Amino acid sequence: MKNRSGLYASWERFGWTMSAPSVLFLVAMTSIPLLSLLVMGTWRIDLTNPMGNRWIGISNYLEMLQDSRFWNAAWVTAIYTVSTVVLQVALGLVMAVALFRQVRGQGLIRVSVLLPMILAPVVVGLAWRTLILTPEYGILDYLAISLGFGSKPWLGDPRWALASVIIIHTWQWTPFAFLVFLASLHALPQEPLEAALLDTKTAWQRFRYVILPMIRPAIVIVVIFRTMIALRAFAAIFSATGGGPGTATEILNLYAYRVSFNDLNLGYGAAVATLLLFLTLAISAIFFRMRGSVIS
Amino acid sequence: MFSFQARKRRSLMVASAGMTYIVIFILLLVWAFPVLWVVMTSLKMRTDIFVVPPKIMFKPTLEHYIEALKTQDILEGIGNSLVVASGTTILTLMIAVPAAYVFARVRFRFSTQTSFFVLFTEMAPPMGLIIPYFFLLNHLRMLDTYTGLIAMHMTLTVPFAIWLMITYFQDLPATLEESAAIDGASPFTTFLRVVLPNVWGGVGVTAIFAFIESWNEFLYAVVLTGSKTKTATVAIFGFLAAEESRWGPFTATGVMIMAPVIVMALFAQRHIIKGMTMGTTKG
Repeated sequence: MKNRSGLYASWERFGWTMSAPSVLFLVAMTSIPLLSLLVMGTWRIDLTNPMGNRWIGISNYLEMLQDSRFWNAAWVTAIYTVSTVVLQVALGLVMAVALFRQVRGQGLIRVSVLLPMILAPVVVGLAWRTLILTPEYGILDYLAISLGFGSKPWLGDPRWALASVIIIHTWQWTPFAFLVFLASLHALPQEPLEAALLDTKTAWQRFRYVILPMIRPAIVIVVIFRTMIALRAFAAIFSATGGGPGTATEILNLYAYRVSFNDLNLGYGAAVATLLLFLTLAISAIFFRMRGSVIS
Repeated sequence: MFSFQARKRRSLMVASAGMTYIVIFILLLVWAFPVLWVVMTSLKMRTDIFVVPPKIMFKPTLEHYIEALKTQDILEGIGNSLVVASGTTILTLMIAVPAAYVFARVRFRFSTQTSFFVLFTEMAPPMGLIIPYFFLLNHLRMLDTYTGLIAMHMTLTVPFAIWLMITYFQDLPATLEESAAIDGASPFTTFLRVVLPNVWGGVGVTAIFAFIESWNEFLYAVVLTGSKTKTATVAIFGFLAAEESRWGPFTATGVMIMAPVIVMALFAQRHIIKGMTMGTTKG
Protein backbone atom coordinates (compact mmCIF):
# COMPACT_ATOMS: atom_id res chain seq x y z
CA MET A 1 0.00 0.00 0.00
CA LYS A 2 2.97 2.28 0.33
CA ASN A 3 4.45 2.39 -3.16
CA ARG A 4 2.01 4.84 -4.59
CA SER A 5 3.41 6.93 -7.38
CA GLY A 6 1.43 9.96 -6.34
CA LEU A 7 1.21 10.82 -9.99
CA TYR A 8 -2.52 11.41 -9.93
CA ALA A 9 -2.33 12.86 -6.44
CA SER A 10 -5.10 15.37 -6.96
CA TRP A 11 -7.36 13.20 -9.00
CA GLU A 12 -9.94 12.55 -6.36
CA ARG A 13 -12.72 11.94 -8.82
CA PHE A 14 -10.76 9.32 -10.71
CA GLY A 15 -9.98 7.45 -7.51
CA TRP A 16 -13.56 7.44 -6.34
CA THR A 17 -15.06 6.54 -9.71
CA MET A 18 -12.76 3.57 -10.12
CA SER A 19 -13.27 2.19 -6.63
CA ALA A 20 -16.93 3.11 -6.10
CA PRO A 21 -18.50 0.01 -7.72
CA SER A 22 -16.51 -2.36 -5.48
CA VAL A 23 -16.91 -0.29 -2.35
CA LEU A 24 -20.66 0.19 -2.82
CA PHE A 25 -21.06 -3.49 -3.61
CA LEU A 26 -19.20 -4.54 -0.46
CA VAL A 27 -21.13 -2.09 1.73
CA ALA A 28 -24.41 -3.40 0.36
CA MET A 29 -23.46 -7.06 0.49
CA THR A 30 -21.38 -7.30 3.68
CA SER A 31 -21.79 -4.27 5.98
CA ILE A 32 -25.56 -3.99 5.69
CA PRO A 33 -26.20 -7.77 6.07
CA LEU A 34 -23.95 -7.88 9.15
CA LEU A 35 -25.83 -4.97 10.73
CA SER A 36 -29.10 -6.71 9.85
CA LEU A 37 -27.74 -9.84 11.49
CA LEU A 38 -27.26 -7.97 14.77
CA VAL A 39 -30.87 -6.78 14.58
CA MET A 40 -32.24 -10.19 13.56
CA GLY A 41 -30.56 -11.71 16.61
CA THR A 42 -32.88 -9.63 18.83
CA TRP A 43 -36.03 -10.86 17.10
CA ARG A 44 -38.04 -14.01 17.14
CA ILE A 45 -38.15 -14.90 13.44
CA ASP A 46 -39.64 -18.33 12.88
CA LEU A 47 -40.60 -18.86 9.24
CA THR A 48 -42.65 -21.93 10.12
CA ASN A 49 -44.84 -19.82 12.43
CA PRO A 50 -44.54 -16.19 11.24
CA MET A 51 -47.50 -14.98 13.29
CA GLY A 52 -45.48 -15.11 16.50
CA ASN A 53 -42.56 -13.06 15.17
CA ARG A 54 -41.72 -10.08 17.36
CA TRP A 55 -38.89 -8.15 18.98
CA ILE A 56 -37.60 -10.03 22.02
CA GLY A 57 -34.44 -8.14 23.01
CA ILE A 58 -31.76 -10.40 24.41
CA SER A 59 -34.02 -13.43 24.89
CA ASN A 60 -32.25 -15.40 22.15
CA TYR A 61 -28.99 -14.98 24.01
CA LEU A 62 -30.56 -15.93 27.33
CA GLU A 63 -32.02 -19.01 25.66
CA MET A 64 -28.56 -19.88 24.37
CA LEU A 65 -27.22 -20.01 27.94
CA GLN A 66 -29.80 -22.71 28.74
CA ASP A 67 -29.39 -24.55 25.46
CA SER A 68 -27.40 -27.76 25.93
CA ARG A 69 -27.10 -28.22 22.16
CA PHE A 70 -25.46 -24.80 21.93
CA TRP A 71 -22.94 -25.69 24.64
CA ASN A 72 -22.24 -28.97 22.92
CA ALA A 73 -21.60 -27.07 19.67
CA ALA A 74 -19.30 -24.61 21.46
CA TRP A 75 -17.35 -27.50 22.98
CA VAL A 76 -17.11 -29.35 19.65
CA THR A 77 -15.96 -26.11 17.99
CA ALA A 78 -13.21 -25.66 20.59
CA ILE A 79 -11.95 -29.25 20.20
CA TYR A 80 -12.19 -29.10 16.42
CA THR A 81 -10.47 -25.72 16.08
CA VAL A 82 -7.64 -26.31 18.55
CA SER A 83 -6.80 -29.81 17.36
CA THR A 84 -6.93 -29.04 13.64
CA VAL A 85 -4.76 -25.93 14.05
CA VAL A 86 -2.21 -27.70 16.27
CA LEU A 87 -2.02 -30.68 13.91
CA GLN A 88 -1.65 -28.50 10.83
CA VAL A 89 1.17 -26.47 12.37
CA ALA A 90 3.02 -29.51 13.74
CA LEU A 91 2.77 -31.59 10.57
CA GLY A 92 3.41 -28.58 8.33
CA LEU A 93 6.57 -27.76 10.26
CA VAL A 94 7.92 -31.30 10.07
CA MET A 95 7.28 -31.43 6.34
CA ALA A 96 8.76 -28.00 5.65
CA VAL A 97 11.91 -28.61 7.68
CA ALA A 98 12.40 -32.02 6.09
CA LEU A 99 12.00 -30.71 2.56
CA PHE A 100 13.28 -27.18 2.43
CA ARG A 101 16.74 -28.05 1.13
CA GLN A 102 15.30 -30.66 -1.20
CA VAL A 103 15.57 -29.51 -4.81
CA ARG A 104 14.31 -32.47 -6.80
CA GLY A 105 10.62 -33.24 -7.03
CA GLN A 106 9.48 -29.78 -5.93
CA GLY A 107 6.96 -29.45 -8.77
CA LEU A 108 5.30 -32.80 -8.05
CA ILE A 109 5.16 -32.06 -4.33
CA ARG A 110 3.66 -28.63 -4.90
CA VAL A 111 0.90 -29.90 -7.19
CA SER A 112 -0.03 -32.80 -4.91
CA VAL A 113 -0.26 -30.68 -1.79
CA LEU A 114 -2.08 -27.92 -3.68
CA LEU A 115 -4.92 -30.23 -4.76
CA PRO A 116 -6.68 -30.77 -1.40
CA MET A 117 -6.86 -27.01 -0.86
CA ILE A 118 -8.40 -26.09 -4.20
CA LEU A 119 -10.73 -29.03 -4.80
CA ALA A 120 -14.38 -28.58 -3.87
CA PRO A 121 -14.72 -29.27 -0.10
CA VAL A 122 -17.99 -31.07 -0.79
CA VAL A 123 -16.30 -33.56 -3.10
CA VAL A 124 -13.50 -33.96 -0.55
CA GLY A 125 -15.95 -34.59 2.30
CA LEU A 126 -18.07 -37.02 0.30
CA ALA A 127 -15.02 -38.88 -1.00
CA TRP A 128 -13.77 -39.37 2.56
CA ARG A 129 -17.21 -40.47 3.71
CA THR A 130 -17.43 -43.11 0.99
CA LEU A 131 -14.15 -44.22 -0.60
CA ILE A 132 -11.91 -43.72 2.40
CA LEU A 133 -13.89 -44.24 5.60
CA THR A 134 -16.64 -46.72 4.72
CA PRO A 135 -16.19 -49.81 6.92
CA GLU A 136 -14.53 -52.65 5.01
CA TYR A 137 -14.61 -51.04 1.53
CA GLY A 138 -13.03 -47.70 2.43
CA ILE A 139 -9.31 -47.57 1.77
CA LEU A 140 -8.37 -46.36 5.27
CA ASP A 141 -10.57 -48.94 6.97
CA TYR A 142 -9.08 -51.62 4.71
CA LEU A 143 -5.64 -50.41 5.80
CA ALA A 144 -6.65 -50.52 9.46
CA ILE A 145 -7.92 -54.08 9.07
CA SER A 146 -4.79 -55.17 7.18
CA LEU A 147 -2.53 -53.71 9.85
CA GLY A 148 -4.44 -55.59 12.52
CA PHE A 149 -6.26 -52.66 14.14
CA GLY A 150 -9.59 -53.94 12.94
CA SER A 151 -12.49 -52.10 11.32
CA LYS A 152 -13.45 -48.83 13.03
CA PRO A 153 -16.81 -46.99 13.10
CA TRP A 154 -15.12 -43.94 11.53
CA LEU A 155 -18.29 -41.93 11.04
CA GLY A 156 -20.80 -44.04 12.93
CA ASP A 157 -19.57 -43.53 16.48
CA PRO A 158 -19.61 -40.03 18.07
CA ARG A 159 -15.96 -40.01 19.20
CA TRP A 160 -14.61 -41.56 16.04
CA ALA A 161 -16.70 -39.18 13.93
CA LEU A 162 -15.21 -36.12 15.61
CA ALA A 163 -11.73 -37.57 15.15
CA SER A 164 -12.55 -38.29 11.49
CA VAL A 165 -13.68 -34.75 10.65
CA ILE A 166 -10.56 -33.45 12.39
CA ILE A 167 -8.45 -35.78 10.23
CA ILE A 168 -10.27 -34.63 7.08
CA HIS A 169 -9.74 -30.93 7.85
CA THR A 170 -6.11 -31.57 8.76
CA TRP A 171 -5.59 -33.49 5.53
CA GLN A 172 -7.13 -30.68 3.53
CA TRP A 173 -5.25 -27.79 5.11
CA THR A 174 -1.85 -29.00 6.38
CA PRO A 175 -0.49 -28.17 2.91
CA PHE A 176 -1.24 -24.50 3.59
CA ALA A 177 0.93 -24.47 6.73
CA PHE A 178 3.58 -26.48 4.89
CA LEU A 179 3.74 -24.04 1.97
CA VAL A 180 3.86 -20.97 4.23
CA PHE A 181 6.64 -22.48 6.37
CA LEU A 182 8.53 -23.58 3.27
CA ALA A 183 8.32 -20.07 1.84
CA SER A 184 9.47 -18.43 5.06
CA LEU A 185 12.38 -20.87 5.42
CA HIS A 186 13.45 -19.97 1.89
CA ALA A 187 13.05 -16.26 2.67
CA LEU A 188 15.37 -16.37 5.71
CA PRO A 189 18.79 -14.79 5.27
CA GLN A 190 20.78 -17.90 4.40
CA GLU A 191 24.19 -16.92 5.80
CA PRO A 192 23.24 -16.28 9.44
CA LEU A 193 21.17 -19.45 9.20
CA GLU A 194 24.20 -21.45 8.02
CA ALA A 195 26.41 -19.94 10.72
CA ALA A 196 23.88 -20.71 13.41
CA LEU A 197 23.41 -24.23 12.13
CA LEU A 198 27.20 -24.77 12.31
CA ASP A 199 27.19 -23.91 16.01
CA THR A 200 24.63 -26.53 16.89
CA LYS A 201 25.22 -30.22 17.14
CA THR A 202 22.09 -32.33 16.92
CA ALA A 203 19.20 -32.05 14.51
CA TRP A 204 16.84 -31.33 17.39
CA GLN A 205 19.02 -28.45 18.61
CA ARG A 206 19.12 -27.02 15.10
CA PHE A 207 15.36 -27.14 14.95
CA ARG A 208 14.72 -25.91 18.48
CA TYR A 209 17.28 -23.11 18.75
CA VAL A 210 17.82 -21.96 15.17
CA ILE A 211 14.85 -22.68 12.94
CA LEU A 212 11.98 -22.38 15.38
CA PRO A 213 12.82 -18.85 16.62
CA MET A 214 13.39 -17.68 13.06
CA ILE A 215 10.03 -18.75 11.71
CA ARG A 216 7.99 -17.89 14.78
CA PRO A 217 6.25 -14.99 12.97
CA ALA A 218 5.11 -17.39 10.26
CA ILE A 219 3.75 -19.80 12.87
CA VAL A 220 1.77 -17.00 14.52
CA ILE A 221 0.26 -15.97 11.19
CA VAL A 222 -0.66 -19.54 10.26
CA VAL A 223 -2.31 -20.11 13.64
CA ILE A 224 -4.45 -16.98 13.26
CA PHE A 225 -5.35 -17.60 9.60
CA ARG A 226 -6.25 -21.20 10.23
CA THR A 227 -8.24 -20.47 13.40
CA MET A 228 -10.45 -18.06 11.47
CA ILE A 229 -10.93 -20.58 8.66
CA ALA A 230 -11.64 -23.47 11.07
CA LEU A 231 -14.43 -21.38 12.60
CA ARG A 232 -16.12 -21.08 9.21
CA ALA A 233 -15.60 -24.73 8.23
CA PHE A 234 -18.80 -26.05 6.75
CA ALA A 235 -18.92 -27.97 3.48
CA ALA A 236 -16.52 -30.79 4.35
CA ILE A 237 -18.20 -31.57 7.71
CA PHE A 238 -21.67 -31.14 6.24
CA SER A 239 -20.92 -33.66 3.50
CA ALA A 240 -18.95 -36.13 5.64
CA THR A 241 -21.23 -36.36 8.70
CA GLY A 242 -23.90 -33.65 8.42
CA GLY A 243 -22.99 -32.76 12.01
CA GLY A 244 -23.77 -36.24 13.26
CA PRO A 245 -24.07 -38.84 14.47
CA GLY A 246 -26.55 -36.87 16.56
CA THR A 247 -24.69 -33.67 17.29
CA ALA A 248 -21.22 -35.23 17.69
CA THR A 249 -19.59 -33.15 14.94
CA GLU A 250 -21.91 -30.15 15.06
CA ILE A 251 -19.62 -27.11 15.28
CA LEU A 252 -21.21 -23.70 15.95
CA ASN A 253 -21.22 -22.84 12.26
CA LEU A 254 -23.18 -25.99 11.47
CA TYR A 255 -25.50 -25.43 14.44
CA ALA A 256 -26.31 -21.93 13.14
CA TYR A 257 -27.03 -23.48 9.74
CA ARG A 258 -29.29 -26.23 11.08
CA VAL A 259 -31.26 -23.83 13.29
CA SER A 260 -31.64 -21.28 10.48
CA PHE A 261 -32.26 -23.43 7.43
CA ASN A 262 -33.58 -26.75 8.71
CA ASP A 263 -35.75 -25.41 11.56
CA LEU A 264 -36.20 -22.01 9.80
CA ASN A 265 -35.72 -20.34 13.18
CA LEU A 266 -33.81 -17.39 11.69
CA GLY A 267 -33.77 -15.17 14.79
CA TYR A 268 -32.05 -17.73 16.98
CA GLY A 269 -29.74 -18.73 14.11
CA ALA A 270 -28.80 -15.06 13.70
CA ALA A 271 -27.93 -14.85 17.40
CA VAL A 272 -25.61 -17.87 17.11
CA ALA A 273 -24.06 -16.39 13.95
CA THR A 274 -23.58 -13.05 15.76
CA LEU A 275 -21.55 -14.85 18.39
CA LEU A 276 -19.41 -16.38 15.64
CA LEU A 277 -18.99 -12.93 14.10
CA PHE A 278 -17.63 -11.48 17.34
CA LEU A 279 -15.35 -14.47 17.81
CA THR A 280 -13.94 -13.86 14.33
CA LEU A 281 -13.61 -10.12 15.00
CA ALA A 282 -11.70 -10.78 18.21
CA ILE A 283 -9.29 -13.09 16.43
CA SER A 284 -8.77 -10.67 13.56
CA ALA A 285 -8.11 -7.87 16.07
CA ILE A 286 -5.34 -10.01 17.54
CA PHE A 287 -4.20 -10.65 13.99
CA PHE A 288 -3.85 -6.96 13.21
CA ARG A 289 -1.94 -6.29 16.42
CA MET A 290 0.39 -9.22 15.79
CA ARG A 291 0.89 -8.18 12.22
CA GLY A 292 1.89 -4.76 13.40
CA SER A 293 4.44 -6.02 15.90
CA VAL A 294 5.78 -9.26 14.47
CA ILE A 295 5.81 -8.72 10.75
CA SER A 296 6.91 -5.17 10.19
CA MET B 1 35.63 -23.80 -2.91
CA PHE B 2 32.18 -24.29 -4.31
CA SER B 3 32.14 -28.03 -3.87
CA PHE B 4 33.39 -27.53 -0.32
CA GLN B 5 30.46 -25.24 0.40
CA ALA B 6 28.06 -27.60 -1.24
CA ARG B 7 29.25 -30.42 0.99
CA LYS B 8 28.89 -28.18 4.06
CA ARG B 9 25.39 -27.32 2.96
CA ARG B 10 24.42 -30.99 2.75
CA SER B 11 25.82 -31.74 6.17
CA LEU B 12 23.84 -28.85 7.60
CA MET B 13 20.50 -30.26 6.57
CA VAL B 14 18.29 -30.54 9.59
CA ALA B 15 16.82 -33.77 8.31
CA SER B 16 18.88 -36.60 6.89
CA ALA B 17 18.54 -37.62 3.24
CA GLY B 18 16.80 -40.84 4.18
CA MET B 19 14.21 -39.03 6.24
CA THR B 20 13.67 -36.57 3.41
CA TYR B 21 12.76 -39.33 0.97
CA ILE B 22 10.47 -40.99 3.47
CA VAL B 23 8.69 -37.66 3.99
CA ILE B 24 8.32 -37.18 0.22
CA PHE B 25 6.92 -40.68 -0.16
CA ILE B 26 4.42 -40.26 2.68
CA LEU B 27 3.48 -36.84 1.40
CA LEU B 28 2.64 -38.09 -2.09
CA LEU B 29 0.85 -41.15 -0.70
CA VAL B 30 -1.26 -39.16 1.74
CA TRP B 31 -2.08 -36.14 -0.41
CA ALA B 32 -2.07 -37.26 -4.02
CA PHE B 33 -3.41 -40.80 -3.58
CA PRO B 34 -6.95 -40.02 -2.34
CA VAL B 35 -7.52 -37.78 -5.36
CA LEU B 36 -6.13 -40.47 -7.66
CA TRP B 37 -8.35 -43.04 -5.94
CA VAL B 38 -11.47 -41.01 -6.74
CA VAL B 39 -10.42 -40.91 -10.40
CA MET B 40 -9.69 -44.66 -10.43
CA THR B 41 -13.00 -45.55 -8.80
CA SER B 42 -14.89 -43.48 -11.37
CA LEU B 43 -13.38 -45.66 -14.12
CA LYS B 44 -14.12 -49.03 -12.48
CA MET B 45 -16.97 -51.28 -13.38
CA ARG B 46 -19.62 -51.63 -10.69
CA THR B 47 -18.41 -55.09 -9.81
CA ASP B 48 -14.84 -53.84 -9.36
CA ILE B 49 -15.74 -51.11 -6.87
CA PHE B 50 -17.03 -53.10 -3.90
CA VAL B 51 -14.32 -55.70 -3.56
CA VAL B 52 -11.84 -56.59 -0.84
CA PRO B 53 -8.93 -56.14 -1.27
CA PRO B 54 -9.37 -52.95 -3.36
CA LYS B 55 -8.41 -53.37 -6.98
CA ILE B 56 -5.47 -51.38 -8.31
CA MET B 57 -5.59 -53.00 -11.76
CA PHE B 58 -8.92 -53.13 -13.55
CA LYS B 59 -10.55 -52.81 -16.93
CA PRO B 60 -11.58 -49.14 -17.27
CA THR B 61 -15.06 -48.11 -18.32
CA LEU B 62 -16.82 -44.81 -18.91
CA GLU B 63 -20.25 -46.15 -17.95
CA HIS B 64 -20.49 -44.06 -14.77
CA TYR B 65 -19.79 -40.84 -16.66
CA ILE B 66 -22.55 -41.66 -19.11
CA GLU B 67 -24.91 -42.54 -16.28
CA ALA B 68 -24.04 -39.33 -14.40
CA LEU B 69 -24.57 -37.14 -17.44
CA LYS B 70 -27.88 -38.85 -18.18
CA THR B 71 -29.03 -37.77 -14.72
CA GLN B 72 -30.97 -34.58 -15.29
CA ASP B 73 -29.70 -32.91 -12.10
CA ILE B 74 -26.02 -33.42 -12.88
CA LEU B 75 -26.06 -32.15 -16.44
CA GLU B 76 -28.09 -29.11 -15.40
CA GLY B 77 -25.96 -28.70 -12.29
CA ILE B 78 -22.77 -28.48 -14.30
CA GLY B 79 -24.47 -26.01 -16.65
CA ASN B 80 -25.65 -23.91 -13.70
CA SER B 81 -22.20 -24.02 -12.10
CA LEU B 82 -20.69 -22.79 -15.38
CA VAL B 83 -23.17 -19.90 -15.61
CA VAL B 84 -22.67 -18.88 -11.98
CA ALA B 85 -18.86 -19.26 -11.97
CA SER B 86 -18.46 -17.40 -15.28
CA GLY B 87 -20.83 -14.64 -14.21
CA THR B 88 -19.07 -14.29 -10.87
CA THR B 89 -15.65 -14.18 -12.54
CA ILE B 90 -16.55 -11.56 -15.15
CA LEU B 91 -18.40 -9.25 -12.77
CA THR B 92 -15.68 -9.59 -10.14
CA LEU B 93 -12.99 -8.56 -12.60
CA MET B 94 -15.07 -5.65 -13.87
CA ILE B 95 -15.41 -4.03 -10.45
CA ALA B 96 -12.31 -5.30 -8.62
CA VAL B 97 -9.56 -4.54 -11.15
CA PRO B 98 -10.25 -0.76 -11.42
CA ALA B 99 -10.58 -0.53 -7.62
CA ALA B 100 -7.29 -2.37 -7.10
CA TYR B 101 -5.59 -0.02 -9.53
CA VAL B 102 -6.53 3.15 -7.67
CA PHE B 103 -5.80 1.58 -4.27
CA ALA B 104 -2.32 0.66 -5.51
CA ARG B 105 -1.39 3.75 -7.51
CA VAL B 106 -3.57 6.75 -6.76
CA ARG B 107 -3.79 8.79 -3.60
CA PHE B 108 -7.26 10.07 -2.84
CA ARG B 109 -9.10 11.01 0.30
CA PHE B 110 -9.86 8.01 2.54
CA SER B 111 -8.14 5.66 0.10
CA THR B 112 -6.23 3.93 2.91
CA GLN B 113 -9.31 3.57 5.08
CA THR B 114 -11.33 2.29 2.14
CA SER B 115 -8.75 -0.30 1.20
CA PHE B 116 -8.65 -1.52 4.80
CA PHE B 117 -12.42 -1.76 4.75
CA VAL B 118 -12.06 -4.03 1.71
CA LEU B 119 -9.55 -6.23 3.54
CA PHE B 120 -11.89 -6.37 6.49
CA THR B 121 -14.89 -7.52 4.47
CA GLU B 122 -12.91 -10.61 3.54
CA MET B 123 -13.21 -11.76 7.13
CA ALA B 124 -17.01 -11.55 7.26
CA PRO B 125 -18.19 -15.01 8.33
CA PRO B 126 -20.32 -16.54 5.54
CA MET B 127 -22.97 -17.78 7.99
CA GLY B 128 -23.41 -14.20 9.22
CA LEU B 129 -24.06 -13.00 5.67
CA ILE B 130 -26.28 -15.78 4.42
CA ILE B 131 -28.88 -15.63 7.23
CA PRO B 132 -29.97 -12.00 6.57
CA TYR B 133 -29.50 -12.45 2.84
CA PHE B 134 -31.75 -15.52 2.77
CA PHE B 135 -34.36 -13.59 4.79
CA LEU B 136 -34.23 -10.72 2.28
CA LEU B 137 -34.36 -12.88 -0.87
CA ASN B 138 -37.18 -14.93 0.63
CA HIS B 139 -39.18 -11.70 1.01
CA LEU B 140 -38.31 -10.51 -2.50
CA ARG B 141 -39.14 -13.95 -3.91
CA MET B 142 -35.66 -14.06 -5.42
CA LEU B 143 -34.53 -17.43 -4.10
CA ASP B 144 -33.41 -19.86 -6.81
CA THR B 145 -32.10 -17.17 -9.18
CA TYR B 146 -28.66 -16.84 -10.77
CA THR B 147 -28.48 -13.17 -9.71
CA GLY B 148 -28.88 -13.98 -6.03
CA LEU B 149 -26.17 -16.64 -6.01
CA ILE B 150 -23.72 -14.67 -8.18
CA ALA B 151 -24.03 -11.61 -5.92
CA MET B 152 -23.35 -13.79 -2.88
CA HIS B 153 -20.34 -15.47 -4.50
CA MET B 154 -18.95 -12.05 -5.30
CA THR B 155 -18.72 -11.27 -1.58
CA LEU B 156 -16.10 -14.04 -1.50
CA THR B 157 -14.27 -13.11 -4.68
CA VAL B 158 -14.25 -9.27 -4.81
CA PRO B 159 -12.18 -8.54 -1.66
CA PHE B 160 -9.65 -11.23 -2.52
CA ALA B 161 -9.45 -10.11 -6.16
CA ILE B 162 -8.76 -6.51 -5.10
CA TRP B 163 -5.96 -7.55 -2.77
CA LEU B 164 -4.40 -9.88 -5.31
CA MET B 165 -4.56 -7.28 -8.10
CA ILE B 166 -3.05 -4.60 -5.85
CA THR B 167 0.13 -6.69 -5.67
CA TYR B 168 0.31 -6.86 -9.47
CA PHE B 169 -0.25 -3.11 -9.89
CA GLN B 170 2.39 -2.38 -7.24
CA ASP B 171 4.94 -4.38 -9.22
CA LEU B 172 4.63 -2.03 -12.21
CA PRO B 173 7.41 0.56 -12.65
CA ALA B 174 6.48 3.94 -11.16
CA THR B 175 7.28 5.66 -14.46
CA LEU B 176 4.74 3.66 -16.45
CA GLU B 177 1.98 6.26 -16.40
CA GLU B 178 4.24 9.30 -16.67
CA SER B 179 4.84 9.31 -20.41
CA ALA B 180 1.14 8.89 -21.04
CA ALA B 181 0.43 11.80 -18.73
CA ILE B 182 2.90 13.96 -20.65
CA ASP B 183 1.05 13.10 -23.85
CA GLY B 184 -2.06 14.51 -22.21
CA ALA B 185 -4.00 11.25 -21.94
CA SER B 186 -6.73 11.11 -19.30
CA PRO B 187 -6.25 8.73 -16.39
CA PHE B 188 -9.04 6.51 -17.73
CA THR B 189 -7.36 6.24 -21.12
CA THR B 190 -4.01 5.62 -19.47
CA PHE B 191 -5.51 2.85 -17.33
CA LEU B 192 -7.11 1.12 -20.29
CA ARG B 193 -4.37 1.59 -22.90
CA VAL B 194 -1.13 1.68 -20.90
CA VAL B 195 -1.65 -0.01 -17.54
CA LEU B 196 -4.04 -2.88 -18.24
CA PRO B 197 -1.94 -4.43 -21.04
CA ASN B 198 0.87 -4.78 -18.49
CA VAL B 199 -1.16 -6.78 -15.97
CA TRP B 200 -3.08 -9.26 -18.11
CA GLY B 201 -1.15 -12.09 -16.43
CA GLY B 202 -2.35 -10.93 -13.01
CA VAL B 203 -5.90 -10.53 -14.30
CA GLY B 204 -5.73 -14.12 -15.57
CA VAL B 205 -4.60 -15.42 -12.17
CA THR B 206 -7.33 -13.41 -10.45
CA ALA B 207 -9.89 -14.86 -12.87
CA ILE B 208 -8.72 -18.40 -12.04
CA PHE B 209 -9.14 -17.74 -8.31
CA ALA B 210 -12.61 -16.25 -8.74
CA PHE B 211 -13.74 -19.09 -10.99
CA ILE B 212 -12.47 -21.84 -8.65
CA GLU B 213 -14.01 -20.18 -5.58
CA SER B 214 -17.44 -19.91 -7.18
CA TRP B 215 -17.27 -23.31 -8.92
CA ASN B 216 -16.46 -25.10 -5.62
CA GLU B 217 -18.75 -23.08 -3.35
CA PHE B 218 -21.37 -25.00 -1.40
CA LEU B 219 -22.97 -23.16 1.57
CA TYR B 220 -24.50 -20.29 -0.42
CA ALA B 221 -25.47 -22.64 -3.23
CA VAL B 222 -27.29 -25.10 -0.97
CA VAL B 223 -29.20 -22.32 0.80
CA LEU B 224 -30.10 -20.17 -2.20
CA THR B 225 -30.69 -22.57 -5.08
CA GLY B 226 -33.66 -24.75 -5.84
CA SER B 227 -34.71 -26.87 -8.79
CA LYS B 228 -33.90 -24.18 -11.38
CA THR B 229 -30.37 -23.11 -10.44
CA LYS B 230 -28.97 -26.02 -8.39
CA THR B 231 -25.20 -26.14 -8.94
CA ALA B 232 -23.05 -29.26 -9.41
CA THR B 233 -21.73 -29.23 -5.82
CA VAL B 234 -25.32 -29.46 -4.56
CA ALA B 235 -26.53 -31.93 -7.19
CA ILE B 236 -23.76 -34.46 -6.44
CA PHE B 237 -25.45 -35.32 -3.13
CA GLY B 238 -28.20 -37.07 -5.10
CA PHE B 239 -26.08 -40.19 -5.58
CA LEU B 240 -25.44 -40.69 -1.88
CA ALA B 241 -28.67 -39.49 -0.32
CA ALA B 242 -30.51 -42.80 -0.35
CA GLU B 243 -29.60 -46.00 1.47
CA GLU B 244 -27.93 -47.36 -1.63
CA SER B 245 -24.59 -45.63 -2.31
CA ARG B 246 -23.88 -45.16 -5.98
CA TRP B 247 -20.12 -44.67 -5.81
CA GLY B 248 -19.63 -45.00 -9.57
CA PRO B 249 -21.71 -42.03 -10.77
CA PHE B 250 -20.75 -40.11 -7.61
CA THR B 251 -17.02 -40.36 -8.33
CA ALA B 252 -17.59 -39.67 -12.03
CA THR B 253 -19.41 -36.45 -11.10
CA GLY B 254 -16.69 -35.66 -8.56
CA VAL B 255 -14.06 -35.98 -11.27
CA MET B 256 -16.06 -33.71 -13.57
CA ILE B 257 -16.21 -31.09 -10.78
CA MET B 258 -12.50 -31.48 -10.02
CA ALA B 259 -11.20 -31.65 -13.59
CA PRO B 260 -11.25 -27.93 -14.52
CA VAL B 261 -9.68 -27.05 -11.17
CA ILE B 262 -6.91 -29.64 -11.58
CA VAL B 263 -6.14 -28.34 -15.08
CA MET B 264 -5.89 -24.77 -13.77
CA ALA B 265 -3.68 -25.95 -10.89
CA LEU B 266 -1.29 -27.62 -13.30
CA PHE B 267 -0.98 -24.50 -15.43
CA ALA B 268 -0.78 -21.88 -12.71
CA GLN B 269 0.45 -23.72 -9.60
CA ARG B 270 3.12 -21.17 -8.73
CA HIS B 271 0.72 -18.25 -9.04
CA ILE B 272 -2.00 -20.05 -7.11
CA ILE B 273 0.38 -20.86 -4.25
CA LYS B 274 1.60 -17.26 -4.24
CA GLY B 275 -1.97 -15.98 -4.07
CA MET B 276 -3.05 -18.44 -1.37
CA THR B 277 -0.16 -17.61 0.92
CA MET B 278 -0.46 -13.87 0.22
CA GLY B 279 -0.18 -11.84 3.41
CA THR B 280 1.67 -14.54 5.32
CA THR B 281 5.19 -13.38 4.49
CA LYS B 282 6.73 -9.96 4.28
CA GLY B 283 7.53 -9.96 0.55
